[in-house]
Formats: sequence, C-alpha cells, structure tokens
Amino acid sequence: MSNQMSKATPLGVLDQRMLRKRNKMLRRQPTLAWYLFLLPTLLGIAVFMIYPLAESLRLSFTKGADERFVGLQNYVSVLESGTFWYSVYNTLYITVFQLLIAIPLGFIIACLINNLRRGSNFFKVLFYLPNVTSIVAAATVFLALLHPDGPLNYVVQLLGFEKLVWLSQPLSARWGAIILSVWHWLGFVIIINLANLQAISSDYYEAASIDGASGFKQWLYITLPNMVGSLTVLFVIGWIGGLQRFSDAYMLGGLQGSPARSLHTVVGFIFERGFGGYEYGLASAASYILFFFILAFTYVNTKVTKMKI
Amino acid sequence: MFNKLTLKLIGTLLASTMILSACGTNGNSNGAVKTNSEPAATESTSNAAVTNEAPTGKLKVQLVGDFSLEDKTDPVSGKTSKGVKVLKEEFEKQYPNTEVEFVLMGWDNYNEKTQTMLQSGAADVYQVPGIAALVEQGLLEPLQPYIDKDSYDLGSYLAGQVDGWKALGPDDQELQIYGLPFIGDARVIVYDRQLFDDWGLEYLSESPTIEEVLEKAAKMTGKNPKTGEQNYGLTFKGADAADTVMNINESLGGQWGNGFLWKDMKLDFDSKTMVQSMDLMKEVLKYAPEGIMAGQGAENFLTEKNNIAINLRESPGFINSLANFRLEDRYQAALLFKNQTTGMGGMFAGSPFAIGASSSNKDLAWEWLKFSGSEFFQQYMWEEQRSQSMPVIKAAEEWPSVQEIGQMDIILKQMSQLWTPRYPYRSGQPRYILSENVERVLLDELSAAEGMKKAQEEGTKWLADQQ
Repeated sequence: MSNQMSKATPLGVLDQRMLRKRNKMLRRQPTLAWYLFLLPTLLGIAVFMIYPLAESLRLSFTKGADERFVGLQNYVSVLESGTFWYSVYNTLYITVFQLLIAIPLGFIIACLINNLRRGSNFFKVLFYLPNVTSIVAAATVFLALLHPDGPLNYVVQLLGFEKLVWLSQPLSARWGAIILSVWHWLGFVIIINLANLQAISSDYYEAASIDGASGFKQWLYITLPNMVGSLTVLFVIGWIGGLQRFSDAYMLGGLQGSPARSLHTVVGFIFERGFGGYEYGLASAASYILFFFILAFTYVNTKVTKMKI
Repeated sequence: MFNKLTLKLIGTLLASTMILSACGTNGNSNGAVKTNSEPAATESTSNAAVTNEAPTGKLKVQLVGDFSLEDKTDPVSGKTSKGVKVLKEEFEKQYPNTEVEFVLMGWDNYNEKTQTMLQSGAADVYQVPGIAALVEQGLLEPLQPYIDKDSYDLGSYLAGQVDGWKALGPDDQELQIYGLPFIGDARVIVYDRQLFDDWGLEYLSESPTIEEVLEKAAKMTGKNPKTGEQNYGLTFKGADAADTVMNINESLGGQWGNGFLWKDMKLDFDSKTMVQSMDLMKEVLKYAPEGIMAGQGAENFLTEKNNIAINLRESPGFINSLANFRLEDRYQAALLFKNQTTGMGGMFAGSPFAIGASSSNKDLAWEWLKFSGSEFFQQYMWEEQRSQSMPVIKAAEEWPSVQEIGQMDIILKQMSQLWTPRYPYRSGQPRYILSENVERVLLDELSAAEGMKKAQEEGTKWLADQQ
C-alpha cells in the first residue's frame, strides 16, 4: 500500500529513480573492473590483430614502394593470375585427398584402439607422436623418405612397382605432400575421435546387445551417429588448415613449389609475391581473397554438415 | 546484444586502429619515400655535412648470416672461429671515443627485417644483398660524396665488385654507388679429378664451354670402368636451373634483357640463344642423377663416395667441405661459362655494406664501410668466416693462406668476371616466371621455344603492370 503511495507522489518517483541509478552503478562497478583487467588484452588485440588487418587491407589497395592507391587493381591481378588459380588447384587437391584419407582412416584406427583391452595408451601415443613433431622437421624427414633411393621407393619396389622420383614430377610430388600431411594429421584425428568414442554411453551398447544387435549394427546405428559431431569438427578444421597450407609444401617444393609449381599453394603465392618480390599490395590482396575463400568454405561446410557454431 | 559501454569500447578501439593505421602509412612512406623524393642535388647538399673531424659516438651495425659476437666452434670441423667482437675491438681501437654495437640476424626474412630496421632507423650500417630494392625506395645513402671527400681508392677491390652493387635511386639517371662490397661470393664449376682419371679423360679446361662439359659428361655417365659403380656426368642445383640457363645464354652471346628499373626494363627470354641454351640444358639433364630437379641424388658430391663428375654450379664454400674431408687434391674448380668476346660470365653475388638514410651518425658509418674494405677486416672474414665469405680485395691474391688453396685462384678469377650489376630481373616476378618455365621445359611439359615464349609473355605482361 505504502509502496503504491510512494509511486504516486513526485518524491516517490524521484526516490525510485535514484534507487535504480544507484543499483545500476553498483551493477556496473564490477563490470568496469573486468574491462579494466581486460584492457591489456584488448590493447594487444588492437595493436597485433586489428591494426595489422586494417594495414593489410589498406596495403591491398596500393602498389609500389610509394604505396600509390590503385583501387581494386591488385584484386583483379590476383584473380586474373594463372599462377594464383594453379596454386588454388594445388591447395584444394592436396587438402581434398588429405581429408578423404585422414578422417576415415583416423576414425577406423580410433575405433580399433577403443576396442583394445590392453596397450591402447601405447597406440594413442604412437599415433599422436607425428602431430607433436614440427611440420618442418617432419618434412625434412620426408625429404629422405621420398628420396629416389629412399625407404618409400623400397616399399614401392617390394610391391612390384617401378620406383618413383617422387619430388621430380608434379603428380608424385603432390602425392608426396598428401602422404606427409596425412601422416602428420592422423594422430590428431585419432585423438579427437577417441575422445568422442569414449564419451558414448556404454548403456546404448548394452541395450543393443540385449536386443541382439551385431557388432557391426552397433557400430552403424550407435557409434556412427554419435560421432557426427567430431567428424564434422575435423572436416571443418581440416578445410581451414588445408587452405592455409604452406610449411609442408614449402619444405618439399621450395619457394616456387617445384617441380613446375606443383607444390605452390595459395599461402606460397602470397609469400612469393610479398617477400620474394616486394609486392606487398598484391600479396595483401591475395591474403584477403584467401580469407574470403576460407570464410565461404567454412560457411558452406557448416551448412552442409549442419554444424552449430 | 551489446550494452553501451561495449559499443563505446569497440568504437574507441576501431578509432584508435584507424589512427594507428594512418600513422603507419605516414610513418612508412614518409620515412622512406620522402627522403627518396629529395632530388639528387639535395642529397649531395645533405652530404655536405660530411666533416673531416674524427667521428665519435655509437655505431650500430646490422649483419645478416651465421655471425656471432663471441667465439664459436664449428660442429663439423671442430674449428673455433673468433666472433665479430674482433671487428668491434679493432674499430674502437682505431676510432677512439666510438662504440660499435652489432645487430645480428639470420637469413630468414632478412629483406623484410632490414627494410623495417631502415624505416625505423634501427641501425647505421646495413648488410644489404638486396640493395637495389632498398635504394629504389631511397632508404640508403649515396656514397659518392664520401668517396670523393676521402679520395677513397676503389681500385683496391677485385674487378667488378664495386660495380656489382651499383643501383638506381628514385632520382638517379645512372647507376650510383650505394654500397661497398665486404662479402665476396660467386658460383664455379667443380669437378672430381678422380672420376676423370677413372674414365681416362683430360680434366676440364680453366674456362670450359658448354660443349666441352657436355662432351665429357656424356663419356662419364654409365658404369665406372674402374669401380663398376654407376657414375653421372653432371649435376646442378635444381632450384638454380634458370641461372645456369642464363649463364649458358650469355656465353653464347645472348643477354637477359636490359634496363634497371621495372619501368625501363625489357626482357629477352625468348631470344634464339635462350632457346638454344634451354635445349642444351635439356641435354645436361640426360647426364644428371634422377631427382636432380628436386635437389636429390647429388648428396655425395664433395665426399669420398662421390659418383658425379661435374657440378655446374657450386658456391665457394665447397673449399671448406674439401678441408673437412681432406679432399683438397681430388676436386678442382673451373670458371663458369664465359662470353668469349666480353670475358664475362656468371651472376653477381655476395653482400655489400650500406649506410641507412635514416642513420644519425653517417660519418662514422662511412668509416665502418672503409674499415670493411681494409686488409684487417677482410683477413678476419677469410680466416674466421670462410664458410660465408670470400675476400673482395685484390690484396687477398697475395695472402699465403689464399695461395695455398689450389681452388682459390679460380674463385677469385670468377669473382672478377661476373656480370654486373646483379641481374635486376631477379628482384621480382620475372625471376620466378623464368624459373617456372625452365622447369616446365626440363620436365618436358613444354618445348624450349614454347617455354621461353611463355616466360617472355608473362614477364613482359608483369612489367607492363608495374608502369
């Protein structure tokens, strides 16, 4: 009653306003404190992320040492460049096969490890080791593996095929890069799959067993549907990483992605034009084009896989 | 979604980013280009500040490569080499009241790092193998006024070493001196005398032609008559195939093109001699190990187990490998393919020192440049940094330590016959365009004529885009 009264009088309204203001200030105080703590990070983001992005965008509209404004010319040059589209083709080629091989293979190996009663930790470590290795070190080892007289050719010959000069021909060089990337990424795929496999409740399997479902049916109707989330994440992450591919191709094919640019990737294109020839404007434009490629691919992938982000 | 405070914060961040971005623009171009756009006359005027008083103060010297301040031991040879503190101590002794500080960096991304340092004035003296691009931006100081002031004798350097680093500033009409050489480099042909003996062939002449090399390489490809192992006549560095093609082309009387700045440059990649050189290079490939295009198959060259007779392109550092494996007598060097009329052959290489336009102590920096051409400095480089440097002064020819190495005679001769200045087309995309098409020809994807035509068209289009 008294409350209703105070609302009716001007003084009561004023009191309420002051009260609300006070409450608001009290609520705001801890928030402000948090922003104060966040300030160094925000400054770091501004200086080391937003500023370089803005500067790169500005550079993408300029040309030459005097940074003269050329509008969209750099973007047009990149999109008209045959070398750029060849680097896109190489990047997609290596990435598609990397994903097609590594994700199913990793899933199968993860299932096998998950069913092991003993020694699963050993296999987890064994398969994860390549992923811990730096890609540069791994590629250096692969230079020896892919040597004309190297171990891979030994196996090829044991299987009755003629030996390949892996890094001297465009097709075999690309497959050399695919083998390296699958080897390096496989451990990560296995670990993610294993984590998901272990999270599937054993109740489902017990119930299925009671109902008389075979092992394969359990795998098909219980395991697979429960794995969709992890496989989707791996698919999206794999695409993003694949489109950003550089170090492995650079180590195997050098700056130009030899032989005959077969290992020239989109990031390799950016690196060569930016640092090999001081074409910072063009390299920045190519970087933004790559960014939009990744954005578009990720969007399509999330839609296709119905992934929730 | 966002409360007002968040929006304000984001707004402030974006505004500060734009301000920073704008500052960056001005900072970058002003520092670099403003200085550039000063007319040559003004540059000379600024150099009128060159004084005759003994300079004092602090000098920052940037060095690129495998340098260290303190002594260090080579893991292969076990030899301890003295650090660059030796140079610091000597310079400070010669120039009292000065202090030298080194900024040491590796070869990775040295161009970008050097450019950033120059724009921010982080040092006074810079090692600039990529001098042309930096001079074009006006980031380096012209040296002619200093040379004139001191009547500095450029004749003490090996022939062509000073000319090789000449470059064009934004307002220069002719090539000018912006750097003085301090690291010498070249490529030479190296061959295994033991394999020549096994096959009963005469060694290569001091200045062989491509025909002589091919003829001998053809004879030495196959089963070694003495050891029975597979021998190959030739090898080369796959990534440098285009440089070898250009070397052959120039020995046949051709040229890469002409001009120095992109706007004046004309390429000659599809000339008759270039196509001929490309065909000869395909011939070379017949006598090389499989995998040579990928840099594989020649790992044993310069070792006891070698099975390749001739390497078309070896850096002078090979003398260190020979010393490590005690194979000094087994391998010999020959000059790169030379144009018989001009007496020239091979791409200019090495490193010069230059003074940053943003340096605050240019007089002292100039003293360092002179110091780098002194016998003390060059002898230090030869004795302690041999893996990454050859002497650039004529006096080195008389040093007993040079004379006792049989291959040094050829290396120093080679350094004096390099085409100068550095091939300007290699500073940008034409270099990669030529390399790509040379590789395509060697992989039989294109014929020599098609490959060179494609290189010419793509290179010319790129140059037109630079106008």
